[in-house]
Amino acid sequence: MAQTQLAILLTSAALVVIGLYSAIFIDNIIKKIIGISFIEEGANLFIVAIGYKPGGVVPILMPGMDTSWFAANAAYPLPFGLVLTSIVIGASTLAVMLALVMVLYRRYGTLSTSVMLADTSKQEEYDE
Amino acid sequence: MLEFVLMIIIILSAILALIQKDLLKAAILTGFSGGALAVLFQILLAPDVALTQAIVGAAIVPVFIALAVKKTQREDS
Amino acid sequence: MNELIPLMVIVPLMAALLISAFSKFNKATKIFAFVVALCLPIIPIASHYGLHYFGGYAPIMDNVTNVMYHPAITYSFTFLQQIFIAMLGLLTFLVVFIYLTKYKKVSGPYLFLLFLGTAAVTAMLLTDDIFHMFVFFEILALAQVGIVAASSIDYSYEMALKYMILGSIGSPMMLLGIGFLLALTGSVNVTDIAAAVHNGLVDATSPVFLLSLGLIFFGWLYASGLPPFHTIKSGIYSKAEPHGAALLQSFTVVSMISIVLIMFRIYSTLPIFEVLVVFFSILAMILGVSLALTQTDFRRMIGFLAVGELGFIGLGIGLGTQYAVTAGLFQALNEIIITALLFIGFGAIVNATDEVDTRKLGGLLAYHPKVSIMLLIAGLAMAGVPPLSGFQSKLMLVQASLNCGFPEISILAIMVSIATFVVFVKTYYTMFLKPKPRELELEKKEVPRTMIFAMGILLIIVILLGIFPDIVTAGISNFVGGIL
Repeated sequence: MAQTQLAILLTSAALVVIGLYSAIFIDNIIKKIIGISFIEEGANLFIVAIGYKPGGVVPILMPGMDTSWFAANAAYPLPFGLVLTSIVIGASTLAVMLALVMVLYRRYGTLSTSVMLADTSKQEEYDE
Repeated sequence: MLEFVLMIIIILSAILALIQKDLLKAAILTGFSGGALAVLFQILLAPDVALTQAIVGAAIVPVFIALAVKKTQREDS
Repeated sequence: MNELIPLMVIVPLMAALLISAFSKFNKATKIFAFVVALCLPIIPIASHYGLHYFGGYAPIMDNVTNVMYHPAITYSFTFLQQIFIAMLGLLTFLVVFIYLTKYKKVSGPYLFLLFLGTAAVTAMLLTDDIFHMFVFFEILALAQVGIVAASSIDYSYEMALKYMILGSIGSPMMLLGIGFLLALTGSVNVTDIAAAVHNGLVDATSPVFLLSLGLIFFGWLYASGLPPFHTIKSGIYSKAEPHGAALLQSFTVVSMISIVLIMFRIYSTLPIFEVLVVFFSILAMILGVSLALTQTDFRRMIGFLAVGELGFIGLGIGLGTQYAVTAGLFQALNEIIITALLFIGFGAIVNATDEVDTRKLGGLLAYHPKVSIMLLIAGLAMAGVPPLSGFQSKLMLVQASLNCGFPEISILAIMVSIATFVVFVKTYYTMFLKPKPRELELEKKEVPRTMIFAMGILLIIVILLGIFPDIVTAGISNFVGGIL
């Protein structure tokens, strides 16, 4: 089962790398934001993988379960709780970014980052 | 075996989403990636996280992106 | 009365939600916001020191291994937290007060953002739980972006979006770092992690531990605006409303010290940690001052000077002795007050003249004498002129670096102080003393009285801390002795 864990870690690393690449190098702002959501997903997957126990059970104590058997076999639930929060934070950050993009599109009429987010100090001099 | 298939779906749809010319397709592929991740969370013994990820990753995030695309422009120029 | 400890976060958070929900009742919102803002500095002063366990889960002693576990989210409240939260509360009060009197019709969402930021920063300072800190770090980033985007200054949306994109690259990095720490120790409580590291349960030289340091350090650089994020940080200061910028810089300083103290407790066994902190601090000092010299927009200049001052805080903490860390924290407290005073004062000038370019200003001393004199004192305090508060903390820093055996760093610190002085005096001369340019038309516009009131209060604190630094440094020194 160690193979599965290794594969999961590789998947999360791949998601983070894909996301970082797109956040840094892709010019289109919406694709940048999609890439950022992939970085967050990769981080979440990594933290869930910490709590995973190969061959274990879901960490919910059902009536009739032996407590010591449960303690030995259940997955570690703390990371799962953390990831719940982190998913929701990621979604809200994404929503705020998209809202800002929609406002800026009305002003510039393009989604290109190099036009939209050019160095603002230079723009001010250009305006004068 | 299912988990390996899911991992391949996640990574492939992530890469495909970023090379699309049509941003609406990119939004839908993001939803694919998020949904597959939700099933993967279920396999990793985290059903509560899987439920949240299924709602947020497979429905809310693609819908937000699709709305933003609808209000702006569809082609990646 | 340890019940007051969670209230420090809950009161601004609830106030934020209520204000944004009922913002159509203008008068009631104003009164409510004023009362809550007045409560903010009072609660930490009235509260007693101690620990608060959420849900009442007290620490558990493992009888087999003799290790203490903290199952609950823990808030620890000591002198350091008290003084910083009280100062932050006072600043929030003054900023909300200025905002309420400036506009007839207040905006509920804007007050929401101000209170949300205060609540987030307070929680970051109080918490002993690294994931809790991360959650409020994200909330703080959202609040900062909102405060910038809500201002009516040109290009504020662009700056907000840029800051947000950088932030959403930085915060998953920090989350990954927290994940590595969680994988190594199985806990997110800082006391537990630090105990595991110091007892040798975690291999301090393992690459995973180093990688977690790198990732959390990246998040810290973003939160505190040290290089390579110094341009964006000074940018958001200049794009926010002046009173908003006064609050934003205090958020930056407090989040910087709260994250660096957590890192200090976990990673102090690694020598590379201190080297990294000192390196980036020195870089921030040099870059901040030299970039401030080239600016013509005086808000941007204060932003870069503020980044340069952040370097002094990092320097004190990076040196790592009790005296040095005390000096760094004292410098942080001084910087919160002095930079807020400068932002509010220069905001008053923007308010009165509608001009931010220093080349087009001049001769303002005759028109706004009170503001000019208070700004001069604040600038001298920032540059470290005796007997003001900036002098005391910088003197402590120079002594600390001499004691640690780094005379080079103390010479550099003195040089940066002198450069700060030069930059400030140059700008002050062109704005206030130089004869008025002929094109500049000054209407008889009064500076709002609340701004002068706020500046007066902050100035009293600056002078008080300059003459009696012991009332703060003794308590901070005790705290630092506890975490070393």
